[in-house]
Amino acid sequence: MPRAVLALLLLVALPVWAAAPKDLTWSEMIPPDAAPEVPNMTPLHDMSKMSDALSAESAPAAKQDMPNAPVVQSLDGQNIRLPGYIVPLEVNEEGRTTDFLLVPYFGACIHVPPPPSNQIVHVKSELGVKLDELYQPYWVEGPLQVKASSSELADAGYQMAADKIYVYELPE
Amino acid sequence: MYLFRLAMASLANRRFTALLTAFAIALSVCLLLAVERVRTEAKASFASTISGTDLIVGARSGSVNLLLYSVFRIGNATNNIRWDSFEHFASNPKVKWAIPMSLGDSHRGYRVMGTTEAYFEHYQYGRQQHLELADGRAFATDPFEVVLGAEVAEALHYKLGDQLVLAHGVAAISLVKHDDKPFTVVGILKRTGTPVDRTLHISLGGMEAIHIDWHNGVPARGNGRISADQARNMDLTPQAITAFMLGLNSKISTFALQREINEFRGEPMLAILPGVALQELWSLMSTAEKALFVVSLFVVLTGLIGMLTAILTSLNERRREMAILRSVGARPWHIASLLVLEAFALALTGVIAGLALLYICIAAAQGYVQANYGLYLPLAWPSEYEWTLLGGILAAALLMGSVPAWRAYRQSLADGLSIRL
Repeated sequence: MPRAVLALLLLVALPVWAAAPKDLTWSEMIPPDAAPEVPNMTPLHDMSKMSDALSAESAPAAKQDMPNAPVVQSLDGQNIRLPGYIVPLEVNEEGRTTDFLLVPYFGACIHVPPPPSNQIVHVKSELGVKLDELYQPYWVEGPLQVKASSSELADAGYQMAADKIYVYELPE
Repeated sequence: MYLFRLAMASLANRRFTALLTAFAIALSVCLLLAVERVRTEAKASFASTISGTDLIVGARSGSVNLLLYSVFRIGNATNNIRWDSFEHFASNPKVKWAIPMSLGDSHRGYRVMGTTEAYFEHYQYGRQQHLELADGRAFATDPFEVVLGAEVAEALHYKLGDQLVLAHGVAAISLVKHDDKPFTVVGILKRTGTPVDRTLHISLGGMEAIHIDWHNGVPARGNGRISADQARNMDLTPQAITAFMLGLNSKISTFALQREINEFRGEPMLAILPGVALQELWSLMSTAEKALFVVSLFVVLTGLIGMLTAILTSLNERRREMAILRSVGARPWHIASLLVLEAFALALTGVIAGLALLYICIAAAQGYVQANYGLYLPLAWPSEYEWTLLGGILAAALLMGSVPAWRAYRQSLADGLSIRL
């Protein structure tokens, strides 16, 4: 009898437990086995390579390094909570943003390339969120969808249909 | 209830001052609500003007500037961009569709936009709605065809088949016209409530053709002129356009392509995300909005203080009235509530009259504002926020009414019947 009660409890508790979103950090969205980018720090001794170094310097700066960065497949379908900044794509008549990109840092930092595609989440929200300031971080909750990148045309990366969006406040 | 009747009767006795006071409050309420309404409607109409476009690209300037001239037809472009730059990015594998835009000419104050069929196919507004033709068709191969926005057709009474002449530059009254190359109306778009309604759409070839015989900034004279028929047989591929809109296959690649365009080696260009630029525009405007709101709040306060002064000055001359009321059995708190009720009645009349005034103004100015500023002001019920504002005004009036009420209370306690005036 106690065992049956326990099983019943487990049955009830499991969905409740599953409903609580898991906090995700941006670094968990990069596969652990992805090769880290090591900058070329070797000093230049051979002057004949000078022109290569210079032309690399004058080449168009910082493109998006990895437009098709690897994604973590195991996150697919998981209910997660992720903090980030909102880049509005679609604003409805009531001034609420219903379609946006969630990124780990705010603003057009033009010194470094834009974030790779595994650091961007394309979020859709039925209700939308009223944005007052672009530099306000938000928590976004909802099931994450992971689409593997196969070609340049594919909708690669992370997507989410947000259930809840609310202001991120600094933990005490 | 009898107290209220008494307050009303007392006010009726001083109806001229009372009416003036109520009118001052009405004016201030009308101003406050009008500011609020214009603010929210302007935001809503701006937000619903563009939808589904991922990037807007133009010559390098500022993001707000680019958004304003390309989408809202406000202000002018700083420079053109080359046609081959457009072709370069239109054929990028990340790009799903591209709409070129060429601006700078006008017809009786309405802007002319050179574009391609892609505009009618891909441009979206509101909640991802596409443009629809109310009448006729989109322009085809002939360069001298024009598709009108709903507002243009209505205001200038154009119908299909009419001929019209475009003017050089964007002034409402233009001295230099392209009158050697008239355009034929082939289509009229359905009303959208966006700047599209106030735009004349021609093909890029048409835009090229009207400027084909211009040299050094003046139209050709004498032999140099190229007629419309000659122009039809010439190569009308544009050299330059003003801006273009892009729709992407994947939203995630927005930043990558934006970076690629901004870093383009061919020529300096600027790519913006319309949603971000809109947000920037709003935070720019929010200072002015707040200032306007504060000013109108102070106007309301002035109206209420006017009411307070009117009641306070009348207190002395009404001491006998109070004394009589006391003699027939009114208690001091009766006198006090009489004055609060008076203030409330004045404010309520003011608020109702202010609302009425607002709706009369909107009804009268609706057409004009829509035609000149592209702003649609609906005759809608006050929003929740507006009700809160009105409630706040009434509460403030009650609070202010308690000042003369307190004085009258004290006086009626002290005076009794033995007042010496």
